[in-house]
Amino acid sequence: MLRAGCQLLGQASVAKTGSNNFALEFVRWRRKPRWLPVAKSKLFRVPERKKQTEEERTELMRLHNQYKTQLRSVRQYLREEVIRYEETSTADHIVLTPEQEEAEFQRCLDENAAWNAAIAKEREIRLAKERDEKVVYVQERLEAKKLRDEERLERANARVLHEIEQSKTFITRENLDAAIETALANPVDHNFAIDMGGNLYYGRNATQFPQETTNEPPQQALSN
Amino acid sequence: MSLTPASGIGRFYKQSAKIIRFVRQGCTNRPFYHIVVMERRKNQHQPVIEQVGSYDPLPNDFNERLVALNTERIRFWLGKGAHLSVPAAELLGIAGLLPIHPRTYMTAWRNRRKAADEAQAEATSS
Repeated sequence: MLRAGCQLLGQASVAKTGSNNFALEFVRWRRKPRWLPVAKSKLFRVPERKKQTEEERTELMRLHNQYKTQLRSVRQYLREEVIRYEETSTADHIVLTPEQEEAEFQRCLDENAAWNAAIAKEREIRLAKERDEKVVYVQERLEAKKLRDEERLERANARVLHEIEQSKTFITRENLDAAIETALANPVDHNFAIDMGGNLYYGRNATQFPQETTNEPPQQALSN
Repeated sequence: MSLTPASGIGRFYKQSAKIIRFVRQGCTNRPFYHIVVMERRKNQHQPVIEQVGSYDPLPNDFNERLVALNTERIRFWLGKGAHLSVPAAELLGIAGLLPIHPRTYMTAWRNRRKAADEAQAEATSS
């Protein structure tokens, strides 16, 4: 029995049987290896032949002859059946004449052309629709761009006007001296604290501030 | 390792000898047979060309031994010239697809003779 193998035989069988070895089992029924001699107790054992009487033998011979004849005829029938089936069932064996082949080819061509025409019609409709959609889309985008540009121009104009408005109070070279004069004439004291109520608390007298500054600026300028 | 489909993945030469025979599946003390077509020279546990039936030799609860046969494919393979193993031939003979195998008759008459002998022994002893 195949499953009765030692370790080496088992591995060889696994390699041989490929993917179906789930059905094999090598753990049980480990026999001795083939190269070991016959056991002493079995050395002189002669296996008994199965008894077969003459009568039985002749009967079996007769039956076998009969069986073989019958099986041969059955086989013959099945072979013919297979051949018949192969001839009738498959279309590969039917040989066409050149005209028939030409006609078949023409039929296929026509069918293909019809399909192509139908698909072309569909495609035309689809492409026209897509073109229209594209035109509408581009138009929308162009209008949106025009609007955007106008808005931007407006914003820029407004900014320019604002800047012009602002530039009236700018200090330029011409009115620099006047600006300095006014600044010196109107000193501002930022040294104050402020509370939640918005009240200002001056820490020191702001009137002293201009006198000190009149003396000190030359020195500061030098030190800087 | 993946299981292979029972419909068969076995490779075979066109002209090689095929045989319809049993493959013992099941496990220890629980035989179960697939009836398969495979190359005659191959070991029974190698991939089969095609499985054409199954055979459960142990009687079930209703004292039946279940056999499934794909007769169409068996006819095809026999027509293609596949050989038959003796147990497979016996089974197909009992199934009625082929003539009854002589071995079936032999086991039958041996069983009958044994039963008769036992009955006689009982009669003489009692």
